[in-house]
Amino acid sequence: MSDDHDHDYDHHPSPWGPHDWSHGAPHNSFAPLVMSIGIGIFLYALASVFVGGEVANLGALSGVMLGIIVITIGLLIWWRQDMSFDGTYEPKATGAPFRNIDLRKIAMWVFLMSEMMVFTSLFSTYIRYRLGIPNCEEVFLSGEWIEGTSVVCFEPAAHLIASSWFHLAPGAANTFALIISSFTIVLALKTAKMSNKKYADRYEVELSDVHSHRSRKVAMFLGSTLFLATLFLTLKMIEWFVGFPTPGPLTELNHGHSEIASLYSEGYTIHASAYQHHAYDTAYHGGHEIPHDSALYSMMQAGTHPGGIMMADIRVGASTFFVTTGTHGMHVLGGMIGLSYMTFKGLRGGYGPSNAVSIEYFGLYWHFVDLVWVLVFPFFYLF
Amino acid sequence: MAHYTILGKDPYWMNFWGLMILTAIEVGAVGVELGDTITMSILIGIAIPKFIMIAAIFMHLYGDADSKILTMTALFPAFFIIVMVFFIGLTSPGAATELPAWCRPGYWT
Amino acid sequence: MKQNSLARILVLLIVLGLALSVAPQADSLPNGIIGQSEKGCTCHGAVPDAGVTPSIEGLPTTFNASTTYTLTISFSGGPSGQAAEPHNLGGFNLATSSGILEAVDDTVKIEGDQATHNGIDDDLDGNGLQDAIEAGGEAIISGNDYTSWLVNWTSPSSGSSTFTLAVNSVNGDGKASADDAWNLMSVTVAGPSTGAAVEELQSADPFVVLVTLIFVSGILLAAVILYTFYRVSPDGFNWESFAPWITEWLTSTDHKKVGTLYFLAGFFFLGVGGIMAMLIRIQLAVPGNDFLTQDQYNQFFTMHGTTMIFLAAMPLINGFANWLIPLQIGAHDLALPRINAMSFWLQPVGAILIFTGVFSGQAADTGWTGYAPYIVSETAHSGTTMWVAGQIMLVASSTLTGINFLTTICSMRAPGMGWMQMPLFTWSIFVANLMLFISIPAWGVGLIQVYLDRTIGTAFYHVASGGDPLLWSHLFWYFGHPEVYVVILPAFGVISEVLSTSARRSVFGYRSMVYAMAGIGIVAFIVYGHHMFTSGMSPTLRFVTMLSTMLVAVPTGIKIFNWLKTMHKGSLVYRTHTLWALGFLVTFTLGGISGMFFPSLAMDTHLHETYFVVAHFHYVFVGGTVFGMFAAVYYWFPKMSGRMMDEKWGLLHFLTAFVSYNGIFWPMHKLGVLGMARRHHTWFITTDDYTNIPAEMASWNMFITVSAFIFFFSNFILVGNMVKTIVSGEKAPADPWGGWSFEWMTSSPPPTPSFDPHNPPVLHDANEHVATEPTIFGQWFESLMMPEDETEGIH
Repeated sequence: MSDDHDHDYDHHPSPWGPHDWSHGAPHNSFAPLVMSIGIGIFLYALASVFVGGEVANLGALSGVMLGIIVITIGLLIWWRQDMSFDGTYEPKATGAPFRNIDLRKIAMWVFLMSEMMVFTSLFSTYIRYRLGIPNCEEVFLSGEWIEGTSVVCFEPAAHLIASSWFHLAPGAANTFALIISSFTIVLALKTAKMSNKKYADRYEVELSDVHSHRSRKVAMFLGSTLFLATLFLTLKMIEWFVGFPTPGPLTELNHGHSEIASLYSEGYTIHASAYQHHAYDTAYHGGHEIPHDSALYSMMQAGTHPGGIMMADIRVGASTFFVTTGTHGMHVLGGMIGLSYMTFKGLRGGYGPSNAVSIEYFGLYWHFVDLVWVLVFPFFYLF
Repeated sequence: MAHYTILGKDPYWMNFWGLMILTAIEVGAVGVELGDTITMSILIGIAIPKFIMIAAIFMHLYGDADSKILTMTALFPAFFIIVMVFFIGLTSPGAATELPAWCRPGYWT
Repeated sequence: MKQNSLARILVLLIVLGLALSVAPQADSLPNGIIGQSEKGCTCHGAVPDAGVTPSIEGLPTTFNASTTYTLTISFSGGPSGQAAEPHNLGGFNLATSSGILEAVDDTVKIEGDQATHNGIDDDLDGNGLQDAIEAGGEAIISGNDYTSWLVNWTSPSSGSSTFTLAVNSVNGDGKASADDAWNLMSVTVAGPSTGAAVEELQSADPFVVLVTLIFVSGILLAAVILYTFYRVSPDGFNWESFAPWITEWLTSTDHKKVGTLYFLAGFFFLGVGGIMAMLIRIQLAVPGNDFLTQDQYNQFFTMHGTTMIFLAAMPLINGFANWLIPLQIGAHDLALPRINAMSFWLQPVGAILIFTGVFSGQAADTGWTGYAPYIVSETAHSGTTMWVAGQIMLVASSTLTGINFLTTICSMRAPGMGWMQMPLFTWSIFVANLMLFISIPAWGVGLIQVYLDRTIGTAFYHVASGGDPLLWSHLFWYFGHPEVYVVILPAFGVISEVLSTSARRSVFGYRSMVYAMAGIGIVAFIVYGHHMFTSGMSPTLRFVTMLSTMLVAVPTGIKIFNWLKTMHKGSLVYRTHTLWALGFLVTFTLGGISGMFFPSLAMDTHLHETYFVVAHFHYVFVGGTVFGMFAAVYYWFPKMSGRMMDEKWGLLHFLTAFVSYNGIFWPMHKLGVLGMARRHHTWFITTDDYTNIPAEMASWNMFITVSAFIFFFSNFILVGNMVKTIVSGEKAPADPWGGWSFEWMTSSPPPTPSFDPHNPPVLHDANEHVATEPTIFGQWFESLMMPEDETEGIH
């Protein structure tokens, strides 16, 4: 290689980081290799733990952990190289159509296009099953079931969740959490972006103190975003698996129940091939009186239907709900991983006017996750 | 970054409160018994402005020099999304049993 | 140096890790690769005990062909029978090298092809009778309670047979204890005399053949790498220079190095896929063959399809894209170099996951389409889960590749290079990546659904719970049909480059070529239903996709005519890459024409699932993509390696491969029309009214197999040519063929970075002094963009 244009390549970059960005992007990194191996181990071990819905080999959980650790090592290498990024290397697009836009911003938008397709696929699955499989409530009211035999039907989680304010509470709180987190990250961007002079005027600090003051403030906003994301996933786990007690005065509002059962303890699970719920019990009247214009009511009046509890196979409906909201949750988790790095970098004074756009470009992803929730929330929680 | 104001206030701030209020209405609408059709129209009617507000203001698809071209980029998958929803979401799984009479045996005697 | 030793340790760990992840898999073949398992005996002590005497009675000294003998298995000695209750006396395991074992009564059961005692021992505490009593309330016969058992053995037609018998004798306390002892015996019985003493050839297990060949290929690949390293610097052939060299390859983000890695992976898996194809052809050469069992055949064609499309064709295409896109558009590297390395490294790891099933003999047997509901059923092989997991990693890889190439091509073109000045290969990669990028999330979501179905037990495709198998078909083909264009479009680009360079004129109808490719890219998304015509899909959708599929012929036809017109009145230079391009024109057109039968709903009903389909897609896939890639290898190899390839070897490769290739797939059209079904492990000559398969099929199938072997081996000419070129080819000039795109302006091989980032090349147009008014569309588009002057756009 005789005529290297080596004025940018004469330094000796380390594949482990840290990296000197004044020489351009890193041209060696162990991160891709290590992360790929980690993902392979993770997927392999996970498939050994669970087979066909049963726990087949709990020992393989150590493999899952190993995979996660290896992925983390890869991420740390990647971040170690990125930590010193301060906006000195920021190539811009040269031609139509993205002339003068940062390459990173274009790449992020291109990435969001594929994310749109991911969620479209999940929504298409949902629409297809929601429209194609008879709805549980309709089946119940049609009277075409008999106690003790499971019928296949689609039970939207919303039927359970929207039935009570308390069930809805975690989901509703989550919606607000995401919107607030969208706002805090924009504030982080705004704070980082302000010129030193303007910042000094705005917050009445000495020009020499701007850097440390700004670092704390940016880290605070990024940290609040991280906290809200954590809150989101925590509430989601409560809603799915844990449930929560209702304090005394509220118990009465909750039909006399002293706690809100989680979806799991309500029996709304991906394995529920014999789902029973008081909403599908002819003897249960609390707010679920059988409508008098339904076929079930006339059949019971005529004595041709014995009534009882309908048993439903709702596995498809539950799978659609858990996997769609779970995929969204995984995106939140991915955002949290990014945010934890950014908060750390912000604390160390990594974000100033020259590279505040890093926050903006991560923010694009974060707002997109919020946007998806705007659609997931009404379709999976409310209707 | 936004270079404009909404009603003289910071656009992010206004957008934030707008979203909070819309969401509150959304949750409230479900709590009140209004019937499926009305609830559904309210939900969709609120989801759309929320969607646009986040995309336009928080994601800077309005008001920046690169906003127009990036809006075009964001809209690019629209065709493919529509194709997918129509072809996958809205075709019936029970199509085999719903074949029209003219393509069943014995129609053309 | 500290850095160096770290790198060394990492390299060693990676090599060790790969070896460890592969080694145990090879051992877990149903019977192990060699040796006999002593099932049920090892728990009673580590070494055999001479105090226990096993015996087999009832064996003849020389057996007659296909006769059933009743054997009495028994043992004496050991602690057996010393306990007060006559339970749990012992057990046995009998394996035979040939012939079939059958149980005579309930005391014996057959596991795999071995016989063992029947014990109802749920909790594995060694107390079968107690479990039986708990389970049913009555004493169910437990084979544990005997010291002798009866087994029927049906002898094979010829050869000799070796019996291996393991017995154990236990003290009856229901627990493994130090008293318990076991022993092993082996006896060989001669078969019927066949006149002359001919050594009987035993056909090996095809899996053993495959696994061995994969290992051999891997070792060859490693040897070639070491040899190259040796040739590059004979003096530095030691660990001190090897460690940084291999570290550089493992960590590089340079587009040329990553491209080379893609090539290595692509060619390696092309070979592996080819080996599987050969084994399949051996099976299909004669009617009623039993070289591969049904079960093995399913795995072989599944792995063949998966390997060829995802692990051979895509990496080869990505190899060329990595190498050439920055060179062709005048960029110093791709937009996101580390992401690029990431999308490469996901592939080999994903490939290992996909192949774990092959090493355990339980590879995916679902077909490369993995149709539901079989793919989520328990009957599908356990390797299917790993197949899905590996594919998820490939999906991630393709998504990252898409982000990278779309960003690069959109925004890193050299000054002067507008969209309509881009070389056609760059255009083809752009459209292909756009299609792949938009479509692959659908399949990714489908795969995740299947992965979750198979692991944690969601019910997306469980028919009993209302799951819809057609949903999988939809999600798969929404991706799958664009995917087949993704692998053919880069070949279009290559052919355009090669033909215009060889004909020494610019390509005819550049704009129409671009619009045709973009048109294919859009239409690809609304035609996918033609893969599901017979699946019970919505009738309206069938009609829509039938018409849109026929529409695809229009842009493709435009391209064919443009290529012909490019050569017309050009002055064609017949280099090897030109020959491959001409070969492509013939075979791809034939493949396209045979494809035009399928969109017709009525024709499709007759032709689907026959060899006509196999012929069609191999004509477009091999005759299109692979021939295009061969042309690309001969065309760009001098640029990549800096050395000229041998044209004589190239000509020999073209002639043998082109002729034998047509010998394989042309007769398949006929087989298909005659009614030979695809995806079936064997076929029979019959005169049955409905499945009438005439006797001439036997000749055709044998002809195809012979051609297939010639084709397989002819490609080693190419491999040999490449090695020979790297080692001793003559030095290549910067522009050996007279091409005029940017990649021919740099030296061969190009420097790193490929172009000076601070001083990029500028593309000049002969007509650029002519002032052109932008069109209305152009003006509108200009108004959308950031202002030309950078300072205005600062936000």
